[in-house]
Amino acid sequence: MTERMIVVNSDAGVHARPAMMLVREAMKYPCSVSLVKGSVEADCKSIMSVLGLAIVSGSKLVVRAHGEKEREVVDALVTMIENDFRMT
Amino acid sequence: MDKVLRVKDFLADLGRIDLQIRVVAGEDALGKDIRVGDINRPGLTLAGFYDFFAYDRIQIFGLGETAYMRQLTEDQRRETYGKFFSYEIKCCIFTHDEEPDPLFIEFANDKKVPVLVTRRDTTRFSTMLTLLLDQVLSPSVTLHGTLIDVYGVGVLLLGKSGVGKSECALELIERGHRLVADDMVEVKKIDESLLIGTGSPVLTHHMEIRGIGIINVREIFGIRSVRNRKRVELVVTLEEWDNSKEYDRLGLEDTMYTILDIDISSVVVPVRPGRNIPIIVETASLNQRLKRVDIHSARELDENIQDLLKSEQRHQ
Repeated sequence: MTERMIVVNSDAGVHARPAMMLVREAMKYPCSVSLVKGSVEADCKSIMSVLGLAIVSGSKLVVRAHGEKEREVVDALVTMIENDFRMT
Repeated sequence: MDKVLRVKDFLADLGRIDLQIRVVAGEDALGKDIRVGDINRPGLTLAGFYDFFAYDRIQIFGLGETAYMRQLTEDQRRETYGKFFSYEIKCCIFTHDEEPDPLFIEFANDKKVPVLVTRRDTTRFSTMLTLLLDQVLSPSVTLHGTLIDVYGVGVLLLGKSGVGKSECALELIERGHRLVADDMVEVKKIDESLLIGTGSPVLTHHMEIRGIGIINVREIFGIRSVRNRKRVELVVTLEEWDNSKEYDRLGLEDTMYTILDIDISSVVVPVRPGRNIPIIVETASLNQRLKRVDIHSARELDENIQDLLKSEQRHQ
């Protein structure tokens, strides 16, 4: 299992579009990927679960993955959140 | 993780629960933690019986308690309150808008015990408070699944992303069953045998259907297609058909899925193209209802066959 903690800085928080970006990225990997906020762990391959976390600017998240390519997916998602969901 | 409620949370906006409460003493101690979800009426304690005094619960003073305190002399009060507040009291709440006497407030402030007054009557207030404490302090877990009421049975559909939980739920809704939550289900343990599932307040009966996007089930299918909470009674796990795996063909044994230490009846349904999963879920729910009234189809058939075989043997 690989996990990393990150604070979301994007002003608008994780609304529909950023949520879709996270899910699309996670879907590229075969392993299970989740986002943890507080005591709630959400499946990062499900749009509704990610939206349901109600992630706002300043939210602390743990990006967690388990299985094949777990490190790669955690890196990719953390980079995406660090870049405030701007396409690079 | 241990759940905690603070006394000041009683004063916050609690949505539908309106406690009609205000603070009269112990303002400094409003940050105190409440970890025990029970309440106590301290009548016996005030009268001097301190055995079994549940001092760590919220103390509710009703009309009886206040009337008792009122008829005490100043000295008696000082003695009673002295003994009462020698325990580590969490919080006192007076009902019927009855404010405690100045001496009580003095003791409470001195011992840093929050004292609150509600306009509500004792029974109604206790019910509301218990409900609130249960809601906040009960252990809970958030599961990735779909909760749907199928013929009155709360069915929790589990399975990996993309296995077809939402599509199955959609077909069930179309057939007249009711959605509680899709994708994120918060399950609470209300008591030793009762699990209640609700949806996320953020998502409120929305669903994602691949190819269409996000839909509002309540708007599309109407109010009769949704409900807000439901007891979780059956877990149906959808998984891709695995040829190497043995699926249950008889249903003689009950398999269980454990959520928050409670065992829930469970079935694993293998999914493959052409299989009508919603009707299998409907049948599993109906079968679950039969089991509730102690009708166990597989066992009964087996017993009948065994009886028949015995009588055949006798005739030979």
